[in-house]
Amino acid sequence: MIRRSSILWAWRALGAITFLFLFVSGSALGAVRLPTFNIHTLELPNGLHAVMLVRRGAPVVTVEVWYHVGAKDEQPGKTGFAHLFEHLMFDGTKTLGEHFSDYIVRAGGIDNAYTTDDATVFWETMPSSNLPVALWLEADRMRNLDITQATLDNEREVVNEERRQRFENPPYGTVIEKLYQHAFTVSPYRHLPIGSAKDLNSATLQDVKEFYDTYYVPNNATVVIVGDFSLDKAKAWVKKYFSPIPHGTHSVSPDIPVEPPQTAERVVKLDQDVALPAFVEAYHIPADGTPDSYPLELVSKILSAGDSALIYRKLVYERQLALQADSSANFSEDPNLFFVFAVMNTGHSPAEGEAAVTSILDRLKDRPPSEQELQRAKNQVLFELAQDEESSKNLAEQLGYDAVILKNPELINTEASKFLAVTPQNIQAVMKKYFVNHNMTLLEVYPDQKGQGTLNSRGGAH
Amino acid sequence: MLWISSQLPARELPPAVPPPEAISFHLPVVQRLSNGLRILLIERHDVPLLTLYAIVGKGAEADPPNLPGTAEMVAGLLPEGTKMRSAAQIAQAIDQAGGTIDTGAGWDESYANVSLLSDHKELAFDLLSDMLIHPAFAPQEIERLRRQTLSALDIVDQDPSYIADLVLRRFLYEGTPYAHSEDGTPESIRHITRKDLVRFHARNYSPSRTILAVVGDITDQQCLALATRFFGQWRNHSSSHSETSIRLPAPRGRRVIVINKPDAVQTEIRVANLAIPRSSPDYYALTVANQVLGGPAANRLFDTLRTRRGLVYGASSDLKCYSTIGAWVAKTSTRSSESVNATEMMLRQMKRLRTHAISGQELEMAQSYLVGHEALEFEPPSQIADRVLELMMYHLPLDYWNHFAQHIRSLSTADVLSATQKYLHPNDDVIVLVGDVSAFRNKLKKLGPVRVVPIAQADQVFPQLEKGTAAYSESRE
Repeated sequence: MIRRSSILWAWRALGAITFLFLFVSGSALGAVRLPTFNIHTLELPNGLHAVMLVRRGAPVVTVEVWYHVGAKDEQPGKTGFAHLFEHLMFDGTKTLGEHFSDYIVRAGGIDNAYTTDDATVFWETMPSSNLPVALWLEADRMRNLDITQATLDNEREVVNEERRQRFENPPYGTVIEKLYQHAFTVSPYRHLPIGSAKDLNSATLQDVKEFYDTYYVPNNATVVIVGDFSLDKAKAWVKKYFSPIPHGTHSVSPDIPVEPPQTAERVVKLDQDVALPAFVEAYHIPADGTPDSYPLELVSKILSAGDSALIYRKLVYERQLALQADSSANFSEDPNLFFVFAVMNTGHSPAEGEAAVTSILDRLKDRPPSEQELQRAKNQVLFELAQDEESSKNLAEQLGYDAVILKNPELINTEASKFLAVTPQNIQAVMKKYFVNHNMTLLEVYPDQKGQGTLNSRGGAH
Repeated sequence: MLWISSQLPARELPPAVPPPEAISFHLPVVQRLSNGLRILLIERHDVPLLTLYAIVGKGAEADPPNLPGTAEMVAGLLPEGTKMRSAAQIAQAIDQAGGTIDTGAGWDESYANVSLLSDHKELAFDLLSDMLIHPAFAPQEIERLRRQTLSALDIVDQDPSYIADLVLRRFLYEGTPYAHSEDGTPESIRHITRKDLVRFHARNYSPSRTILAVVGDITDQQCLALATRFFGQWRNHSSSHSETSIRLPAPRGRRVIVINKPDAVQTEIRVANLAIPRSSPDYYALTVANQVLGGPAANRLFDTLRTRRGLVYGASSDLKCYSTIGAWVAKTSTRSSESVNATEMMLRQMKRLRTHAISGQELEMAQSYLVGHEALEFEPPSQIADRVLELMMYHLPLDYWNHFAQHIRSLSTADVLSATQKYLHPNDDVIVLVGDVSAFRNKLKKLGPVRVVPIAQADQVFPQLEKGTAAYSESRE
């Protein structure tokens, strides 16, 4: 795969799309020639799980606490709650006041958190000597969080700024949000984790306290520890700090609406203040970890990983229809979407790009990829996995995802073989099954008058 | 501090742990081929990967004055065909090995990296050397990249964050080779010829100014043998390597540039002063000061603008240190109505850093973070390569990081204050706002003389056009 540092590849709207797929690579495999890891697990009487992986080398450790609650657990009218709550977790406990991050920073560590459709994850990477401190702090905020009207009001403003900065202000920033609204009708995936400003503004102190009591409990949490540390000591610290926290009293498994199969193609057209037209085709795909998820991940590599891949070669290189074209499978706990998207070059319409994509998809439906084409895709998956093994943070991401979302922490050692077992016929089969018009939502973006005007005025200057 | 309250759980603190230790980095061996190419090997066998990083010691700073974007275009064309391989053949080869090629231009360097599964060692050296030494600059590839770049510039022209950084750069580095857009302008991209690209390559890509860092699953002997085989024949051209010396611009007074984007829902804000090149002895003290103002962890900008006031999502500051010049840049973005308010709060924080010494506690926290954080910086092999290449690029000693902690710990609050007084000049800073001016126009005067320009004309905003600007002026919108 060829990357260039230029603006072509630093373009932020695609960054926003790629952001959704962090967990695709994170959930990848473990490979033939890659090391086999000893995964250690622990379950406390209060329901807390811990997953640990010792890796000698740099004196660094990553701790992650996975709460199995994300945007898909939110009820209509309360979107954005999981993410808002993630922010509140940094605003101090009754025991410590506001000093959570100070204890990480003082050791030279970094900490942050993120919220997805399926989970909320808090993490710290730091020198190994600070491990008991991080575990103490995580246990403290699982039990003693100090939620006040003032911190709620403040974080609501911060999240509104986050929404403006990441979605509303950048070119194409709201495309994905619009797409999800149309691709799903009842699944909570139809809203993004950022939620709606209106819902956030109506969140009460009572609401967020209930959220904390329901979901931020040991029986809904998994502690992940990866790096250079003593396993025996880590287990002892986990027991010491987390055992006193009582098991939650609310149910943490709400009924999540199941999206009915799509029966007809949906088309959405948007006018936005952007310079160039673009389109996204989104196809429903099954959940991560299902048998079809492996060939589908390889399909995304065959289509668009590298300059020799079909979509780049045809749309960007040979015909120069598009400035940028890519595909990606957004796997998650429940069925999600596979995207093919492109930003058209000046003078080319989305329809031209869509026709080119259709001919590529048809080719893969008509006949399976060559062995060489498939091997290339498998090598690219192996390479990504090997890269993830170079840092404790990336390994912790993968381990946490496997343990919490895919319910199998050992996947890190076995998933590679599932990719390697995929045959050209498997690829053809998933192509025929999922890449059909009635399973697709097509979204086209057109420059509005302002976008056009900018182009014209500059064009006229030369 | 003693704190007792009947309603709260018994006051407990996290367990006490020893302060972070300074790292001791095992110095890598640097070998030199007879043509002057330097090779740095960082051997790691736990993961089956091999990455080659080539750094060529000239970047966008060396763009011809009227042709910004040249360095970036040269680097962008390296994988697009050589005298022996077509672009398609290069793509096919790297993709089949599961790997990646990454090329580009920074300000002081151009780079080309090849990363792949380590059973393709020879391919890595073969591809990288071929791209660096024999790029074809085929006319059809030039036209293709030109077209792509023009389209990309059309998109980022609408991106407030990109425009803010670009306008800031023009004003901040005015009169130096760092003041243009490294991506080029529509004008320059249209005018760059094959001859310009070939000339830039011939002049700047040579073994004596190239460093090759080899990281991963390879032995010392394999590395040297492959490097000799594939890079040994690379010849230096006779062109003189004159190092440019930069004369810093004289103080010009505060400049405030506002780019009007009426549909923006947020304003991108930048406040900056010129600061130091990477090799400056003031680097340590300013690094601590930056840590306190807007560094990667807890800092005053984040605390004031976000934690206390909920005005922003992110707020930070950065030291940008190049070989001959540098800057200290603070940035954030906030809802339109609060634009001037947030800017003033940033300015107050910067001024305070100049008028009052930081507290002992802040100093201790910053020092402790910077020392402990080194362990993280030396975890993934790619980062180790970056850290060592940085030293070689800026002519710093290879054992630099082993003494870094000692330098940081020896600083006093007075040392930090004298550094901030030397480099933070509120009367000579550059302020750029990109947003919907109608939401904050009446408050703008608080910032000083302001120039307001519609975003469609942002690519024509240059410092020299400012002469004779009134205290408050507004271009046609």
